[in-house]
Amino acid sequence: MAETDERAESDDTGPVREWLTDEDGTRIDSAIVGEDLDLRYPTSEECVVECARLDVPEGEVTALVGPNGSGKSTLLKSLSNHLEPESGTVRLHGEDVQSFDQAELARELGVLSQENESPGSLTVEDLAYHGRYPHRGFFESVGPADHTAVDDAIEMAGVDHLRDTELGQLSGGQKQLAWIAMVLAQDTDVLLLDEPTTFLDLHHQFRVLETVRQLNERENVTVAVVLHDIAQAARFADNLVAMCDGTLYDWGPPETVVTEQLLADVFGVEARVEYEPELQILPKRALSE
Amino acid sequence: MPKYTMAGTHPTESPTEQRHRRSWFTGRLVAFCLASTAITVVAGLIQVSFGSYSMTIGQAWSAVVDPDILFDPAVWNAFLLGGDLPEMDNASLIVWNIRLPRVFVAALTGSTLGVSGAIFQAVTRNELASPYILGVSSGAGLAVLLTLVVFPSVTIVVPLFVGQFVFDTSSMLPLIAAAGGAIAFALVYAIAWKGGTSPVRLVLAGVIVGTVFQSLQTGVFFFADDLGVVQSAIAWTTGSLTGTDWEQVRLAILPATLAIVLALLGARQLNVLLLGERTAQSLGMRVERVRFLLSGVAILAASTAIAVAGIVGFVGLIVPHVVRNVVGGDYRRLMIGSIFAGPALMVVADVGARLALSPVQVPVGVVTGLIGGPYFLYLMRRQQQMGEI
Repeated sequence: MAETDERAESDDTGPVREWLTDEDGTRIDSAIVGEDLDLRYPTSEECVVECARLDVPEGEVTALVGPNGSGKSTLLKSLSNHLEPESGTVRLHGEDVQSFDQAELARELGVLSQENESPGSLTVEDLAYHGRYPHRGFFESVGPADHTAVDDAIEMAGVDHLRDTELGQLSGGQKQLAWIAMVLAQDTDVLLLDEPTTFLDLHHQFRVLETVRQLNERENVTVAVVLHDIAQAARFADNLVAMCDGTLYDWGPPETVVTEQLLADVFGVEARVEYEPELQILPKRALSE
Repeated sequence: MPKYTMAGTHPTESPTEQRHRRSWFTGRLVAFCLASTAITVVAGLIQVSFGSYSMTIGQAWSAVVDPDILFDPAVWNAFLLGGDLPEMDNASLIVWNIRLPRVFVAALTGSTLGVSGAIFQAVTRNELASPYILGVSSGAGLAVLLTLVVFPSVTIVVPLFVGQFVFDTSSMLPLIAAAGGAIAFALVYAIAWKGGTSPVRLVLAGVIVGTVFQSLQTGVFFFADDLGVVQSAIAWTTGSLTGTDWEQVRLAILPATLAIVLALLGARQLNVLLLGERTAQSLGMRVERVRFLLSGVAILAASTAIAVAGIVGFVGLIVPHVVRNVVGGDYRRLMIGSIFAGPALMVVADVGARLALSPVQVPVGVVTGLIGGPYFLYLMRRQQQMGEI
């Protein structure tokens, strides 16, 4: 079981450790590390997220959870270099994300935003081919490597039967799977997904999460994903990062992070949490503010 | 510990069972381009057959395909490089030296405006954008008006080592117009810039700058004391091909070719831009730089058209629309389609402008407006949603 309360740890007077360790003292390699982040939007002076240290462990699925406006998406934006931190650094495999060339970063790090512009007349296959953009030079045409990557991505996202369908004809869930196929075709080691299941029906929520899980197991891709639903996140992810009011409330495996206290503090609900036979959250009612 | 079971096994695709891939280059596109070319040619033939100098259709067409002219290097030297024109009979002279260049200028204008509109619609991700939405038209118009009214025929003499280089402002009008358009665009971009731009901010800034410049134009009209100047200014600001000849072809052909080639090369970037800024950035595009450079290509294209034909409205808006409706939204197809459809619209419109009320010629911009406006309204009625691409 991993050391859970990194935030509390670094609040101590002692120096901030360079690595997270598990209970035997072996260090956990992190694909992405955010340090001393102070995130704010250019339009306002207000600090949206403050975070001493955030780790996205290599080869694992990490879910960011928290109520609306807790800063999950903002934090994810800074990890993908879409938002420059006011102070602090984000390192991808040890290197500052800002030192990357844009295309170079896109070959390492795939990002799927919460809302996407889907040109109605674009086919699923064409969309997937856009995922190859960072792999192609300006004058380079599509090569065999691109064909293979796109075929694999479409297959894995399970949209093969929709290949030639235009995005305008698809349901929200199918559209999301098509976008997933695009980021998969990008063929990156790290994947950041911002609320990929919000607004989808249950079937497509599972389809999306299963695809991500498969990708993680098959290709050892590191995934950080913002999820709305903590019960879903607890079942799906290896690690949870619980956020509250722009700070990290807790970090660790679901079994240790998900407590009745957390549900009350972070989500403002009274709930019962059962750990046997498996982690289960039974929400009861909203607590008054 | 896997919480989810794997669904299915990983397929391996051997090279022999490569599935059939649809090419973006479709038969529909080819048919569309052929049809556009046919329309352009027919309209062009009508244009060369009629006019104040009367000749039979047979005379006119045989002049067009006269091998003595078509394969005479001296003639082409005269047309394209401005050398001395060899002797030819009257019919040939009228057709080749007066009527045909006007068709070519119309075709070049149509192509560049179509390409320019297509780029601006992708850059602003707005179907209603046109070359002129970002302030280009009002900037060019104001520059022309100021030149005509405030500095009429100022002659500038630049002394050189051998002799001197003399030009007066009226012959500089095309370049002044293009410069005015480019300056207005730069102004719009600067206003819209706030740690980056956005399509909405660009369009808003364009509309505001356009309105201010338009007011200035109206103001300048009051200071024009000569009716000829006013008419000339109106011809410029509505777009006219009256009196164009090979000089305009020579002026436009190089920048037009350059802009079209660059636009074709940029088609893939435009496709990615259409996915939205954030996705484009996630895919590794330097969005601001690409957007600026492509806007530059669009400005070059629009300026070329403005320089030879004035401000012809609606072409840049309508052409990409028509093409998108026929061949789809993929910019690789859209760009090629626009290069062919632009000339068709422009040459047909110019036939109307020159011959409909003969002997009076109306500015071609009036005709494109009369064709384009109703077509646009028709689209608006037919399509459920309009605006976003």
